[in-house]
Amino acid sequence: MTTAMKKVLTGNNSVSWGVKLSRVQVISAYPITPQTTIVELLSEMVANGELEAEFIKVESEHSAMSAVIGASAAGARAFTATSAQGLALMHEMLHWAAGARLPIVLANVNRAFGPPWSIWTEQTDSLAQRDTGWIQIYVESNQEALDNVILAYKIAEQVNLPVMIVLEAFVLSHTNEPVEIYPQEMVDEFLPPRENPLYVVEPGNNYAVGSLGGPDVYMEWRYKMQKAMERAVDVIKTEGENFGDHFGRKYGLYEGYMLDDADIVLVSAGAFTSTVKYTVKHYRKETGEKVGVLRLRAFRPFPHDALREALCCRKKVAVLDRNISFGHHGIFYSELKSALYRLKDDKRPPMFGYILGLGGRDITPKDIREIIEDVKTREEIEEDIIWKGVKP
Amino acid sequence: MKEKFGLHNLPEAPVTLETTLINKTGSWKNIQPVLQESTAPCTAACPAGIEIPLYFDMLIRGRFDEAAKILHESNPFPSITGRVCPHFCEQKCNRGYFDEAIGIRGIERYLGDLYLDKKWSPPDVTRDEKVAVVGSGPAGLSAAHFLRKKGYRVTVFERDQKLGGVLRYGIPDYRLPKDILDREIEALKREGIEFKTGVEVGKDISFEELKNSFDAVFFGTGAPLEREMRIPGEELFIKGVEFLKDVNTGKIKKFSGKVAVVGGGNVAMDVARSLLRLGATPVVLYRRTEKEMPAIREEVERAMEDGIEFKFLTLPVRAEKKNGKIELTNIKMKLGEPDETGRRRPIPIEGSEFTEEYDAVITAIGELADLSIFPEDLLNKKGWLDVDLRTTATKDDRVFAGGDLVLGPATVIEAIALGKRAAINIDRRINGLELKEFRPFEKVVEYKKIVLDYFMEEPRQKQPEVPVEERIRHFDVEEVGDYTPEQVQKEALRCFSCGHCNGCGTCWVFCPDMAIGWENDQPVFIYDYCKGCGICSAECPRDVIQMVQVRTF
Amino acid sequence: MSFWYNQVPMEENFNSGHLACQGCGATIAMRFALKALGTNTVVVIPACCWTIIDGAFPAHAIKVPLFHTAFETAAVVASGIKSGLRIRGKGDVTVMAWAGDGGTFDIGIQALSGAAERNEDIIYVVYDNEAYMNTGIQRSSATPYGAWTTTTPEKHPEDRPKKNIMEILAAHSIPYQATATIAYPEDFIRKFKKARDIRGTRFIHVLSPCPPGWKIPSDVSVKVSRLAVETRVFPLYEIEDYGEKYTINYWPKGLPVKEYLKIQGRFRHLTEDRIEYIQQFVDRQWEKLVLKHKLSHGTLDNIPKNVIYR
Repeated sequence: MTTAMKKVLTGNNSVSWGVKLSRVQVISAYPITPQTTIVELLSEMVANGELEAEFIKVESEHSAMSAVIGASAAGARAFTATSAQGLALMHEMLHWAAGARLPIVLANVNRAFGPPWSIWTEQTDSLAQRDTGWIQIYVESNQEALDNVILAYKIAEQVNLPVMIVLEAFVLSHTNEPVEIYPQEMVDEFLPPRENPLYVVEPGNNYAVGSLGGPDVYMEWRYKMQKAMERAVDVIKTEGENFGDHFGRKYGLYEGYMLDDADIVLVSAGAFTSTVKYTVKHYRKETGEKVGVLRLRAFRPFPHDALREALCCRKKVAVLDRNISFGHHGIFYSELKSALYRLKDDKRPPMFGYILGLGGRDITPKDIREIIEDVKTREEIEEDIIWKGVKP
Repeated sequence: MKEKFGLHNLPEAPVTLETTLINKTGSWKNIQPVLQESTAPCTAACPAGIEIPLYFDMLIRGRFDEAAKILHESNPFPSITGRVCPHFCEQKCNRGYFDEAIGIRGIERYLGDLYLDKKWSPPDVTRDEKVAVVGSGPAGLSAAHFLRKKGYRVTVFERDQKLGGVLRYGIPDYRLPKDILDREIEALKREGIEFKTGVEVGKDISFEELKNSFDAVFFGTGAPLEREMRIPGEELFIKGVEFLKDVNTGKIKKFSGKVAVVGGGNVAMDVARSLLRLGATPVVLYRRTEKEMPAIREEVERAMEDGIEFKFLTLPVRAEKKNGKIELTNIKMKLGEPDETGRRRPIPIEGSEFTEEYDAVITAIGELADLSIFPEDLLNKKGWLDVDLRTTATKDDRVFAGGDLVLGPATVIEAIALGKRAAINIDRRINGLELKEFRPFEKVVEYKKIVLDYFMEEPRQKQPEVPVEERIRHFDVEEVGDYTPEQVQKEALRCFSCGHCNGCGTCWVFCPDMAIGWENDQPVFIYDYCKGCGICSAECPRDVIQMVQVRTF
Repeated sequence: MSFWYNQVPMEENFNSGHLACQGCGATIAMRFALKALGTNTVVVIPACCWTIIDGAFPAHAIKVPLFHTAFETAAVVASGIKSGLRIRGKGDVTVMAWAGDGGTFDIGIQALSGAAERNEDIIYVVYDNEAYMNTGIQRSSATPYGAWTTTTPEKHPEDRPKKNIMEILAAHSIPYQATATIAYPEDFIRKFKKARDIRGTRFIHVLSPCPPGWKIPSDVSVKVSRLAVETRVFPLYEIEDYGEKYTINYWPKGLPVKEYLKIQGRFRHLTEDRIEYIQQFVDRQWEKLVLKHKLSHGTLDNIPKNVIYR
């Protein structure tokens, strides 16, 4: 076996490498900042024969998703990538991909919606696709981005649901990090060619996929999708561990950082968690206070049980949302709140929901430090949104 | 849905499990198609009701044997009618409204000739009863043939030395070669029909004797008597039928001079055209105009092509012998009101008389049957033989009659038709069954029912013809030739096949519900799935599929 | 002998029991198409009448695989399926997108334009029934001038001419385009066979009579298709050589358009002057098409005046 090589890659190019190593067969995409460099590198890889795949250069994201739906239905391993407006344009077909039970992988580079026009990071775009039936995994680093593309196919093809890998604009997408690129043989061992599809649209299989399903059958198929999502919780966990055994990097439903003994837990997702971790590390050193971090990875399926277990009996939980559900709260906050509802009163920690960093506004260690200080002053939930950094 | 679906039997993804054959969409319909053939206008027009589309269908498929059998079913002598028939069929052919009528007669002739010497033997004698046929013209021969086919012993009595009657003694060689006639008769002999020539009923054997020796008698003695003009000098004239007989027996081989031929019927045409070929210069005198001529149109045209002079609205009123010639005085006529035949009545124009000189005058103004052999009680008040044309029965249970004897001068095909009708009813009478009354066809396919879009204009195939200048020099050279097999094929393909499913497949092609199967070259409706849209019926080029009500509200 | 079944394959790749209305033109069209293409074919169908026609779960009518997809995606899902099959070594499979006029002229035109521009190796068929029939006869950009629909009521019927989809596709420089109607099966099947054997994007525009939508009796679907051709409302032609070569396949009789209009209830309200307006429009379109044929062939003599059938 050839040894792994290290390359300095942007988050986007890490995704591209993940796609290449996953031996994706059909790629279709439409350019949108900040996703572009994912598909640029893939185009090169396909063009120079490094990746034996077809690249369908479509005229819209809607078509990109449709193209990979077709390809996946025809038995191929398929990939697409997009951001914000593009993801929203795909929305209809996200439902279609999931309903058709196709193990497509999509990389979404978080970007804020216009207007006003923004190309900077924010998680609302992917979170808004919450109910499409897609598995969503949020990554923190370029390495994790690469690894989780491979992992995504491993998961998707077991539960026959599509997977969205989410990485943040610029912070990750255009930022270089050293990334380990595994030998192809090693990846092939972990991720064999697509196996046991539920169906393949090819001659000989004289069935129709997606025919009219009346009220007498529709609900059962939605039930089956939910069950597949529930199975995915275990699959993500198990395959994350297997990934660790195979490649030396283990992934779970979430990641804990200084979490075990933490009284105050900061919950976040995505790349800015690095800033949270950095701040917490220093804060502990300086104050000795037991502050810890829980980084959410799987948003769909939402790992209720694991999170309940992880956050049970903590003194305080602060959720840092780089997103907002207008008229409600930070999305991770409200999701987590509902997950913890089943804890007994005495075991359920008070939760504080912070909204910060929208539209790519920097999240600095100072911001995090202020949040920790703020949490310390609070005992009861008095408001569901605590805005951080809104200028008067 | 019959089956209850649930988590246990639904596939993981929404993928179908079976075909739509589970949906019996036939229950949607209120009307449904049925294959319902009707009569083609050619068949309806043919006195013998020959099922022309049916045998054309076989021809197209190359099943010549079956085609010939269907043809012979109604017409045992297609080689004859294929030459001399006025083809009523073609006159009514729906294709005629589209481009040109189908050359039905030419095809009939081709097929007749093809099987002339290899016709099928009828069954053995299966009946004890014997039937006599008097007269060996087309009616008699037809009756004999069909009776023989029904298993009877048949004896034909002919007063002449040779068989064929008018076919032999009336129709000239250039229209019907004797060889063809002989071969048709040979075929009948092979069928086991007994022929007695030179036996004249009423002279050599009495009517009563004949009737008593046989279980039934069919009379087809024709119309051999020439009608008289009843004008002064008539004794100077030659009778048309007698002239033709003399020509056809070879008694007359040459004829010269200017000859007046009086009349506008088929005999007149045959006489005039024969005269021309024998060396004479005929002039046809007819009291009405060309339009009213009763002769077959084609024969009139041919006579005109031959260059024969016609004098219309001209009627001889007296004749005198002068200097070895006949001085014929004619009067000019004009047309008045239509008479009972629908033709405008000729009225003499007073003072318009004029005189012409002829070497001879031949009359052909109508032929009459010889009724002298029949007992009075078989005649009606007018003195004609009392025959029910629907059955050919006479007042005597054992006596039937057909052909020109009962129709007056008519056509070969009408004689054949009555011969067959007689055979059927003689059989029924012998079997004690009620006679079958023949009626005109009721459901005849109209031109507007033909879906013309399925047809392209294509000229009718032409039979080869001897050029006029050549044909008028010979009496025994047939003037019209045969179609080639390729022409037959082409011409048969032009046929609309009105009312007869020829298996074209149009219904099958357009069925949106795959509810038309195909068996034995015909559509089979699959009513379980047919939604009753009616496209098959609307598109059927030949009006064979009808929509019928299956459900009412 | 030129009986139908000598020109129309007996092979039946379509089962009875489908859910089309009586006399549905789109159904006959699919029947012909699959006869021509054979079973090494997969079909993609977006939202349209055919979503229903093929059958509700658990049943499926056509004898090839079918992937149902969203309204605007037929062309691109077909492209994706083709890519998926090709990369899996099954590039010989014919992938046919089969969409209505709404899914083609309107909502699906973007994906179609994209696929055509990329010259995706698919056959795209629009069975054009000239309105949104499945949703209850609303007008589309394929609805012809003067037509009644439920959104263009008789008091204000469709006031714009039908979009010329063939020209739009011709502007994409694709290898093969054709028009076809169910009234000319031999022409229809020939075109589908020809399309099958060409690589790249092939576009076939099928006029597809809809008895309820056109307000015609169910038994005149074929006749009205024939009249569409014979009146030159819908000429049969092909565009080959990447939008360059126009070939008229049949020289119509040139019957008055009135013959076509008068048998359809959706045109019942048209006054003589509106009919004349339509006639002039049809004449101009026809003249342009004839010119294009002449430009392509240098002659009009090679246009058949007869269609061969019996």
